[in-house]
Formats: sequence, C-alpha cells, structure tokens
Amino acid sequence: MTVSRVMGMPTADEAAAARDRVATMVERGGALAWGVADADAFDEAPEGFRPGDLLPGARRVVVVGGSPPRAADWASPVHEHLETMGTSDRINSLGLKTAKFIEAEFGYYALFVPPGVRKGNRPFLSVALAAELAGCGSRSLAGPVLHPEYGLLFYSAIITTYPFPVTPPPAEPACPAPVCVEMWETEGETPCTRVCPLGDGGCLDGRIENGRLVERRYDAARCTSRVYTHWIPGFQKGLELALDQDDPEARKMVLYSSHFTKTLWSMTYAAQSQGQCWECMRVCPVGADFRDKA
Amino acid sequence: MADARQQRTAAVRDVGAGAGALVVGVAASSAFNEFVPEGHRPEDVLPGAKSVVVAGNQGPTAGAWRSPDHRVMEITGYDFRENVAVHVMCDYIEREHGHRALQAPSLPTAGHNPPMSMMLAAVLAGLGTRSLAANIILHPRYGLLYYAALVTTLDLEPDHPLEEDVCPSKPCIQMYEKLGTTPCLASCPKDEGGCLDGALDEDGRISYSYYDRERCTSRSMNFGIGSIQKSLVQITTEDDRERRKSMIYSDFFSQSLSSLSYYKESVAQCFECMRVCPVGMHERRLQ
Repeated sequence: MTVSRVMGMPTADEAAAARDRVATMVERGGALAWGVADADAFDEAPEGFRPGDLLPGARRVVVVGGSPPRAADWASPVHEHLETMGTSDRINSLGLKTAKFIEAEFGYYALFVPPGVRKGNRPFLSVALAAELAGCGSRSLAGPVLHPEYGLLFYSAIITTYPFPVTPPPAEPACPAPVCVEMWETEGETPCTRVCPLGDGGCLDGRIENGRLVERRYDAARCTSRVYTHWIPGFQKGLELALDQDDPEARKMVLYSSHFTKTLWSMTYAAQSQGQCWECMRVCPVGADFRDKA
Repeated sequence: MADARQQRTAAVRDVGAGAGALVVGVAASSAFNEFVPEGHRPEDVLPGAKSVVVAGNQGPTAGAWRSPDHRVMEITGYDFRENVAVHVMCDYIEREHGHRALQAPSLPTAGHNPPMSMMLAAVLAGLGTRSLAANIILHPRYGLLYYAALVTTLDLEPDHPLEEDVCPSKPCIQMYEKLGTTPCLASCPKDEGGCLDGALDEDGRISYSYYDRERCTSRSMNFGIGSIQKSLVQITTEDDRERRKSMIYSDFFSQSLSSLSYYKESVAQCFECMRVCPVGMHERRLQ
C-alpha cells in the first residue's frame, strides 16, 4: 500500500522498508526481539515520563531486547557467577547504536532513553511499558516483561520522530503460561509466587482467573533490597555502616570486607551484573526451553 | 597512483570507519614536538613512534540535544565508539602490518593533565581547530566530537592541520562585529559568572580567548568522580548519624554514584556553549 507523501513524511511503504532496515541492523547487533510502540500510547505513564516529554514531536518508541544470561549462566552451581556476570550492557550499546542509525539513515530525531534513573530513583521512561506496547512481550506475575519465546530479556528504548509502523502486541500474553495456569488451578499458586511468596517474607502475589492474570501484588522495596545487594544501594549501605562504627578497626573491616569490595566491583566494572536475585525467573517456564542447552 | 604508504594509510582509515569512527585523521608523531614538552609526546609513550591516528565520534544524538528535559543530556551516555575504533585499528596494525600500536593515554594520571592531549592530536590530524568555547576542538562539519587516538611505529601518510579556522564561523564573526560577542561567549560570559571570554581581530580571527577551567569543571561535572569526592568529604565529616544517612541516600549522592558506575552515563552536565554553536548545528537539525 502506498500512501501519498504528506509534509515530507515517508509513505507507508517507505516507513515499512525503513523498519525492516532497523530490524536487520538490530538483529545483526544481537537483538533477540524488537518492536515499535506508538508514542501516544503511553497513557499509563504519568506526565513528565512519556515519550513526548523527552522528545518533542515524538511519534514512535523503538524497543530492542536481548542479552539475557546464557543457558550456561543459569546452569552454573556457583550462585556468585550469576550474581556478578552481567550481560545487559550489550543491549544499551545496541540501543544507542540504533538511535544513531535512525538519525544517520533517515534524518529523523532519535533519543536513546538513558538507562540510568532520573530524580528520586525513577527511570526517564518505563522501558518495561515500552517493551510491552511494542509487542515484545507481556507483563508477568513476577514483574519482568516476558517474551513468549525467550522469557526474560533486557530492553533498551529509543524515542524517535520517524513514523515507523507500529508492531502489534502478542496474540496471547506470555504470562501465565499454560503450566502455571494448571498449577494455579490445583495449588493456588504459580512457580514464581511459590518461590517468593509475599505472605511468607517474599515479594510476589497475584491472582489468575479464567487463565488470565487479573491481579498482581509486588513488594518493590523488599525486592530491591534483595536484588540489589551489591551495586549502588550496597555501596550506600556499606558506607553508612562503616561510618557508623566508632572503632577505627571495625570501620576498616567493613571497608575491606568482601561485601564492600564486591559493591565497588559491581559499580565500576561495566560488565558486572547489578541484580543478585533471579529466583522468580529461574523457575519461570516462559523461555525455559531457551535456557536449556545440552 | 597511490604509493604503498598512502595505501596502508587508506586501509587503516577504512578499518577505523568500519569500526564506528565518524572521522579518522593521521598526524606525524614528530609534529607534537613543537607543541608539547617532553614526557607528553607520542615517542614518550611508544619508543619509535612514527604516526598518531585519531578517531572522532559524536556524543549525544540530535534527539538528545533537542530534549526539553535537561536531565536527559546530563546523563545520556556515549557509546565511545572512537575508543573501540582505535582498538580495532591497533589490532589491525599489529596483526596485518607487524608494527606496534597502542591506544594513546588520554585520562589524567596525576593532576588534571593527561599523558597525551587528544585535542592536540585532533588538531594535528586535521580534524578541527580550537574554539572560543572552552578550547573545544570543532570539526568543520560536525562541530563537537569526542576523540581517541593511537600511537604506532607504522609510518603513515599524515594529514595536515586545517588551513582555515573552524572557529569563529561566519555568523559568529557577524555577531561579534555587531554586538561584540559570539553565541558561546554570550551564553557563558566570564564577567557575569560564566567561564568564557574572547575577542576577534579585524580579520575575524581569534585574537584573545579566556577559559575558566575550574569554574567550568565545577558546573559541567556536577555528577561524577568530583562530586563523589566532594560528597565524601561532607559525609565523612558529618558527625550526626541521621544527617549522614540522609546525605548517603540523597538523590545527589545516588546520582553521583550512578554516573560513576553506569557504563553509559555522561560525566558532563553542561553543554550550553556547544548548544548555541553554529558549527555542526545543521548536523543536529533533523525532521
């Protein structure tokens, strides 16, 4: 279908061809998933945290996903391995590369959404929401957006004024998986809510009706304190503890401790993981085949 | 027909461009001797050095420049492709040509002075000239770029410094003739608490420039190593535990740590002299 050019805008065919070029580039760059969301679809996000607040005239949000821990990472019996072996930086590199590609190839603005946080520990834009709206996956009981084939992926988002065709959401939500629905019907819980139950000192709870997720409860503060045991929160906690010591020897012990040393490694070493708890994802059946290798 | 030196120089350039460098320039190692003291020359870093290859790349995208949320530019990161390109070219030179090549050290090892100046390397490699805006090297087409360089014992065909100054550009000369200032000087004037001052002569060339580096650093690097050091001084000298705790968990300290730790975060928070610079502006003007 060819639509006549309006105000210098690309035709539908040109926009579709442009999206194909972006797809080829990101797949070559290691993306396992990608999608395009309408910039006007972020109603769920508060004002100030929508694509148009970051880039005037924003039309689309391109999302690229990939770089999950490998099957071998998941299989390692040494838990410290998955705690420290990060892979997510690759997707941020690809995100910035994609933004530059869009500007260089099509002459439209592209803003790589910073992976860091804005004031008050809030992200600039919910990349999870962007991934969901771009059809890369669906939100889950456990929290992360799950890709139907790969499960947990890391995502990067690029806001652009280029009117790429929007990609549709998955026909069926990835969560709950059929086996989780069966488990819910017989046991009233799912693998993820069992491994980290809100009512038993954990972070997750929810409800499934007619095979669909209808309610989700998540203790973000508790989860953060367990997931980010190293990295910035770990450093802050360690520093507070060290300075609260009146005895110089005790202070020295805290500063040279394994824990504090690890926080410094995770902060400064680019490829270090920033998350140390993966248990809800470890038991998730979505993407389990992808995580299972010989 | 290109001789062997020209051919291998072109091949090195191609490798750099293929690895993501937007621009690649070459300077003769000996060209540094006139401008920098002993200890800061390519030969000091790599005995037998003959050439310096410089790679440049853009930092923020045009979309980031356009964002009304100033925090985007404050923390949006770079992909440092110029560094990657330099490493790829080093590998290529050592593997294919059997000559030594290393990345030129550009971060300060003591005080604020780097072992080698990437700014000088860019100028000598013909990639740009110094500007009124904090001496930033402006590329004639792209304006502000980030540079990395390699030093090698391989003899390459050097480029030459640009014959025409990139700064001041024509509109800046016109503005100076009418108003006695330029866009960058007007955006950050030394006499009004800013960092820049300068003058142009009758030929429209820079006759005087002033840059308050300390003031600029304290403003352009609000988050990063400096702010962590500053915060730590305040935190460690605070006797009240509760106040200390609030400082440790404050937005400011968290963001400082984030800028240090997050691979893709910027460590500069002021771009105002570059925002108004006409050089390269057309490259940032998209649809």
